[in-house]
Amino acid sequence: MSDAVSRGVNAASLSRRGFLGLSAAAAGLSAAACAGMGGGGVQGGDPNVITFWSSHPGTSKPQERELINRFQAAHPGLRVTLVDAGKDYEEVSQKFNAALIGGQLPDIVVLSDVWWFNFAINKAIAPLDSYFGDAGVRLDDYVDTFVNDYRFDNRHYAMPYARSTQIFCYNQDIWAKAGLPQRGPVSWQEFDEWGPKIQSIMGRNKWAHGWSNAANYLAWSFEGPMWTFGGAYSDGWTLKFTDPGTIAAGNALREMINVKKYANIRPAVATDFGTGIIASAVASTGDLNGINANAKGKLSFTTDFLPHPHGSGCTTGGAGLAIPARISDERKVNALKFIEFITNSTNTTYFAQATGYIPVRKSAQQDPSEVAFLAKNPNFQTAMNQLPLTKSQDYGRVFLPGADQLIGTGLEQIGLQNKDPAKVLASVENQLHAIYTRQIAPKLPK
Amino acid sequence: MTYQRRKFAATLLGYAAMACVLIIVGVPLFWILITSFKARPDIYTQPATYWPHSWHPGNYREATTTLPFWQFLRNSLIVTAVVAGVKFVLGIVSAYGLVFLRFPGKNLVFLAIIAALMVPNQITVISNYAIIAEIGWRNTFQGIIIPLCGVAFGTFLMRNHFLSLPAEIIEAARMDGAGWWRLLTRIVLPMSGPTMVAFAVVTLVNEWNEYLWPFLMADDSRVATLPVGLTLLQNTENPSVTNWGPVMAGTLLTMVPILVVFLILQRQMIKGLTSGAIKG
Repeated sequence: MSDAVSRGVNAASLSRRGFLGLSAAAAGLSAAACAGMGGGGVQGGDPNVITFWSSHPGTSKPQERELINRFQAAHPGLRVTLVDAGKDYEEVSQKFNAALIGGQLPDIVVLSDVWWFNFAINKAIAPLDSYFGDAGVRLDDYVDTFVNDYRFDNRHYAMPYARSTQIFCYNQDIWAKAGLPQRGPVSWQEFDEWGPKIQSIMGRNKWAHGWSNAANYLAWSFEGPMWTFGGAYSDGWTLKFTDPGTIAAGNALREMINVKKYANIRPAVATDFGTGIIASAVASTGDLNGINANAKGKLSFTTDFLPHPHGSGCTTGGAGLAIPARISDERKVNALKFIEFITNSTNTTYFAQATGYIPVRKSAQQDPSEVAFLAKNPNFQTAMNQLPLTKSQDYGRVFLPGADQLIGTGLEQIGLQNKDPAKVLASVENQLHAIYTRQIAPKLPK
Repeated sequence: MTYQRRKFAATLLGYAAMACVLIIVGVPLFWILITSFKARPDIYTQPATYWPHSWHPGNYREATTTLPFWQFLRNSLIVTAVVAGVKFVLGIVSAYGLVFLRFPGKNLVFLAIIAALMVPNQITVISNYAIIAEIGWRNTFQGIIIPLCGVAFGTFLMRNHFLSLPAEIIEAARMDGAGWWRLLTRIVLPMSGPTMVAFAVVTLVNEWNEYLWPFLMADDSRVATLPVGLTLLQNTENPSVTNWGPVMAGTLLTMVPILVVFLILQRQMIKGLTSGAIKG
């Protein structure tokens, strides 16, 4: 028995040693494998297969498929792969980030207004100007504001795709009951007079006006109104949160919520508006279809421009299409051809009518189907007519990472916690200034 | 207080606590169930309706037809089954090695595994992505499955359980000449039923709900799993304009397989989770 045991032990110890040796070798191998992480340099890849990463903004997957079919019919040599890159812009950016470090870059990626600059300044997406000729892009046919939104250092880093503006929605029935003219206010000061009148017929836990909360881009909704007070988030790279105009706007927000109590900051403005909880709101044109569906049969609503007493009172938003920098030039040109195709007059009209975004071409406004569509949908016509009155967003919101939420949180503090606007905005400015100096300034071209 | 009164008070408190927990857990589930049958006007309404005015089972049709639901389901089943199976085997076998075999550095290995348990998988996502992308396994089943197969929780759980097994039985088996395989399958595993079931269920649920890694790896419905695929119903910029009926319907359908697993294994699982509390 002991013999067998000792033999067994010998065999076991041999195999134990062998096992330990094997595991050491395996550890070494895996360490070596980790060394090959990511890839610098230009990625090759089949230039005739275009990978399109999209979050299908506005539940547009069927429309994107249709556009891809149209493109493939018009360009028989090229194929497009549609990738589900996430449920919203943040997820797409996350996935794109992983690909930048890890590998296998897409050809086209959907980036929103607050995300594209981050990638541009880190040279992750390519400036497109040098490829416009080869891809047949006519920049002058695109809506000016939309195109300028992606301009930095005199180069364009993306093309507009799913673009929206703000729009002033109001409940016509309540407007009539309050004896107000059937139009939007000409200025926020005028609305300040209307507010209490509307509030007197609203009742408890209902308001004349609802603002989105920070998580739903309050900083975006409030940007245009802030401009009408003479304030701004920034002028170029100079932050302007401590300007008297900005503070006046913050004060107006604080007073309309806490002093005159005819407004509130709500987490689901489109829902509230559709159910009559708020009588008016600054909404996105991208939500108009949804608001229509929410309000159907319950109330009649219409839209107007945002107040613009002097200059612009409204800005734009949504997402554009960018091309990664580290793919081959051939892939970039083909990608740009695809972008140009799906944003041409016919196709941007088709896309806009299905989703509620705004056609990105000037020539689309003369497209007969678009003209007919706008005649049937006056709210979308309002959005189109407002386009010349829009201005590109301030750098302070879109070029500083995390700025949108910081500004939104500050505005929420002013509105919901009745804090002193000067102090809150000064604190926001300090935080944004720190972000600028640490993260952006070192990378800016000299 | 008399003994009867105290017992009554204890029973009452017990029922009250149960009711509390039932409400906290149950109301959201009830809400999901109800919303999945509501038509849109009932969802976007104030005050909230707790019983639909009209039943709209069309939500289920919409959830399963506007997106390739059955493909996502199939993918989820494949990924979950394989990953859970591999994790199960690896957990048991590694725990067995840590408890019943002798080799140098055993404690170090165990410490390393525990350290891995504390690292959330979001941190390793980038390096995993790099490796998988380089091998070219993006948007494939193996790309999703293989990085998910690392198990630390199972090792920890099973090791603790194996340590609690009476040493006499193990020694007796060894003296009878049992090799490691027979010891594992004939002696140790039959004594570990409840713990194994608990481990299996936890792993199954976790893998079924796994979002981040399948999201990064999958590009389309060929390999995307249900949690990733369902978000296609939500692709708007604004949650207040999503049609929540189909989303809730999809969510419910996603819960069903796990509910079935739970129902089958629940008794064993509760035994397994509480087995450490009672000695012997």
